[in-house]
Amino acid sequence: MSGTLHGKRPKVAIIGLASCFGCQLQITNMEPHLLSLLDQIELVHWQLASSDPLPEDFDIAVVEGAVTTKEALETMRRVRRRASVVIALGACAVTAGIPGIAAPEFDDHLQTVYGTQVPQAAGNVISPVPISQVVPVDWEVRCCPIDPADFMAALHRFIVGSNKLPSTATLCGECKRNERGCFYGRGQLCMGLVTRAGCGARCPNLGRACNGCAGLSPQANVAAARRMAQDAGIGEARFNTALQLFNSVELQAGA
Amino acid sequence: MLYRVIDSQELPALVEAFMEDYEVIAPVESGASYAFEKVTSFDEIKLDYPTTITSCKKYVLPPRETLFKFDALNNEVTDFTVKVTPRVIFGAHACDINALNSLDMVFEDSRYRDPYYEARRGATLIIGISCTPTESCFCHLMEADEARTGYDLFLQDIGGRYLVSIGSVTAANVLESACNPREATDEDRIAFRQATRKRQESFNEEIPDVQEIAMLMDAFHSDPFWDELGSRCLACTACSSVCPTCFCFDIADTLGPDGKTGRRERIWDACTSPQFAMVTGGHNFRDSNRNRVRHRMYHKLNGFLATHDRMLCTGCGRCVRACKAHISPIEVLKFFEEKGA
Repeated sequence: MSGTLHGKRPKVAIIGLASCFGCQLQITNMEPHLLSLLDQIELVHWQLASSDPLPEDFDIAVVEGAVTTKEALETMRRVRRRASVVIALGACAVTAGIPGIAAPEFDDHLQTVYGTQVPQAAGNVISPVPISQVVPVDWEVRCCPIDPADFMAALHRFIVGSNKLPSTATLCGECKRNERGCFYGRGQLCMGLVTRAGCGARCPNLGRACNGCAGLSPQANVAAARRMAQDAGIGEARFNTALQLFNSVELQAGA
Repeated sequence: MLYRVIDSQELPALVEAFMEDYEVIAPVESGASYAFEKVTSFDEIKLDYPTTITSCKKYVLPPRETLFKFDALNNEVTDFTVKVTPRVIFGAHACDINALNSLDMVFEDSRYRDPYYEARRGATLIIGISCTPTESCFCHLMEADEARTGYDLFLQDIGGRYLVSIGSVTAANVLESACNPREATDEDRIAFRQATRKRQESFNEEIPDVQEIAMLMDAFHSDPFWDELGSRCLACTACSSVCPTCFCFDIADTLGPDGKTGRRERIWDACTSPQFAMVTGGHNFRDSNRNRVRHRMYHKLNGFLATHDRMLCTGCGRCVRACKAHISPIEVLKFFEEKGA
């Protein structure tokens, strides 16, 4: 029986670059749907499950992690040539995420960690970038870690099609719908002011302020948000540091 | 209108009587704020709540609702039943009742009735309660500080007892069975007038009373004021999320994990959302915060008036509290006052 509407099961390769592999792990966490998932795709490569090398032939490449070495850069170029679809999986792939924190003053960071000699095992290191800076990306599954439902929706987008746009609003509107109150009223810093909506404000709903893992919204009004945070008693330095957690590369480029 | 008086001690019995046949929704504490939620005992209810984060609109127009389920393989609708829970919203303020009345004009318009809204609204009783204005309330300036219609009972606190306005037979029967309602005396009526006067005198006087707001909106349509408001906007849509009268929605098909079945969902949308006015081909009719903020204010303070003879804004003050950038209708009123209007 075919698992897809078009009768074609795409060959999917899941690739991990610089990351904690937590987003790949999130895929395994969708246990009730794993068999259904394997019915809809032909999984030809998964670094997390097998040490077999990346095959030549696949349709959809799902890439987790930031590009932090010349080897990863080459991998991405090779992947892009072979795959008809490239999906960025998780904050590290989408914004360079946590590895991206090293990007500003990268050489100084290298010196601090490795001294004068970078060990061979680290590869030919380069300043971290999201995969969209080295190859065209067809879709981004955001957040740290990803929501497995967003991963499934991303696959469906290319298996059956979808015209849904990624959300560009910032998070507070979604948060208000949860009716949990605002962190700023309690003197706490929350990055929802500038972070892209779409996650349903899950962390604030669980009582934890947004740390911005979905990345800056393209509509983010950072200057206005910084002023508001200051009005609420949050110092500019603290706001800027929090902003860097998932947005270092974009901020370096001059957001 | 029929009026009766009950003692404050009778309220728990009234709520419990409703609980026998209805799910009761009432204001409860939510962190440092308040929210309308389902309650199972009278003790959970905070009837003296100042305001709630969002309004009781969510019970007639949910933030996300399934319109129908479908079978994607066979391109068939499989289930389109509206699940309706008979509800009592206990403790709605006058502004929110007026908001529901405005929503009725939209969703129960005879030209295009909305069966989902109608089913929920029809199964919902509204029990209103009097309130004391907060510093961000300006319902009196939007003619929404009193509910003339749209409730089943309205409880006006007149000191140790309530003057109850009765709006429906169903609610009157529950009132009759659960309490000992008595005829209002002259003393009750005097207390009612005093309570009304006290409320009217409690509004924040810093919020200017501007006449001909709708006309002024047209007169100052191109004023740099809107650029300034837009420059502050965070594009977050918090204003619309908390608004009791914002009724715009998006419709999206969501496939289940199996890729074979899915749901067509209606999801709240907002004209302050950057993509709201984007059309096929990528053109965005309102492509800046300035234009989006201005559009929202126009609909609240001008556009709806032209078609429905009432302001869509009820002056509930929720967006005043929700907007971190301090953008609200109050800013617009202050701007008009500065202009000498």
